[in-house]
Amino acid sequence: MASIEYFEVECPEETGGRYYQRIADVVLLDHNLIRVIQKIHFFIDPRVPIFVAVGITRKMPGPVRLRDFSDVSIQDDKVTISIGDETYLAKLLKSLWDIFGKERVEQPDRFTIVISASTDETKDLEDLVVDDPSLSIYKDLIYALQVIQPEGFKVRRQHYGDGRFYLVASEDTLPEDIDDLVREKFALLEESP
Amino acid sequence: MILVPVTYKGGIYQHDEIIDLIEDLGGYIIQKHIIATEVVLQALVPKEDIELIQRIGKPLTGELTPSPLVGTEIAVVSMSLEIHHLPHASCDLAEYIRRFGAKTNMVGLARGFGKRIAQLNDEERDVINEHDLAVYLLGNFETCIEQKFGVLRRGIDIPIVVCGGPSRESLQEIIDPPVDGYVGNVGRFMHRTKESEELDKLEEVVGEITRVLDRRREDLAKDPLSISPARLMDIINEKVDAIHEVLSPTPITVQMAGLRVKLPYDQYARILKDLVIEEDVTIGDIVDIRPSRMRDYILLKVRPFSETNIMV
Repeated sequence: MASIEYFEVECPEETGGRYYQRIADVVLLDHNLIRVIQKIHFFIDPRVPIFVAVGITRKMPGPVRLRDFSDVSIQDDKVTISIGDETYLAKLLKSLWDIFGKERVEQPDRFTIVISASTDETKDLEDLVVDDPSLSIYKDLIYALQVIQPEGFKVRRQHYGDGRFYLVASEDTLPEDIDDLVREKFALLEESP
Repeated sequence: MILVPVTYKGGIYQHDEIIDLIEDLGGYIIQKHIIATEVVLQALVPKEDIELIQRIGKPLTGELTPSPLVGTEIAVVSMSLEIHHLPHASCDLAEYIRRFGAKTNMVGLARGFGKRIAQLNDEERDVINEHDLAVYLLGNFETCIEQKFGVLRRGIDIPIVVCGGPSRESLQEIIDPPVDGYVGNVGRFMHRTKESEELDKLEEVVGEITRVLDRRREDLAKDPLSISPARLMDIINEKVDAIHEVLSPTPITVQMAGLRVKLPYDQYARILKDLVIEEDVTIGDIVDIRPSRMRDYILLKVRPFSETNIMV
């Protein structure tokens, strides 16, 4: 399993920083996020108080389409989908019900779905996006960072995009120069090999 | 007769004999658990009869171990009941203290987190004060502990043991006025305590609690209580039938200088007050009866001999 290439906790209190290194390690491991994160840097200053986490994610797997895990055969007005991987079945059924309505989607057995629909309606069916793991990873990542941060820090700002993410938190109003601080910490990540 | 706190663990077969024996010798059963085919008794037994109980318990696979915290009620004060402080830090510690015989209650503060925003409300303060000792589980940063601890201890008049991330020396330095006990390097953590050094830390917390409570016992011995709380428990168990209907694991919780009786105050306070202990001494003569801030329980505080001039 790939590990995080850069993992630092910066804190003016040495002992406190060491504990947070362990906390971050345990939480990221528990939430299965080690594979997702390439670099991460925490900055905690209890005197301000402020908590900053900035990081870069690895390349995320793209959206999962219907053809990735099943076989679609179209015959006149009838489409038969043979499922190879049940993981996405629930989400697939939900999307199909939304598109065609429950009365036109049948599931004669666990691994087969039969849809009665015209060819016009079903021609792009194979490209149907069933799941997008990057969306849930974003939620998981932010949730994990919220678990790591000291609890009293209720004022938060978070951002995710282009493979980069950050979360800043404090118990007071966030300082105005917070963007500079985040940029500074991102620069540290980029400098590191 | 000196009573010592012990835990008896043994098979369920004929365990009644051990209970009878302890009671006949003048000891008290504080709590009895039956776990599958095993019985765990927490009891106060006469010091000179320990060997006798061991001898009689041996054929019943009984084992007697000293449990310094039997007969005490301890508050484990956690800064919140959020995932940040639960389950590992607070629960592991509360459970570990329980193994030594104490009755622990977890007090999760509504607004204990944060440095500037930490608060302790009157209900929390009163609930903590009903215990024999409070263990405060604080966080990892010295700066925060230094600033917030003053607020969190305001109005607390029972002994306090502070656990926190910084070392013991740092804790002693930043906490002013000093508290009764300190354990360093036990702050916020997010994993189970199963490695040997972590267990040693828990052991250290228990050691510190025992030390603080022993000192309190010595103080109590200087001006002895008018009645031993364990004996008071026995009398209530014998004379108040309603206590046997209570489903709580400890219908009566024994404290060092009192009892928590888990019956509604409005209905039973008067009944308890008029209960005769011996000849013309009633509970009301030697005990302060107060409503507890925990549910609608009754709190009994035994008055010392110097106040009542009665010893039963």
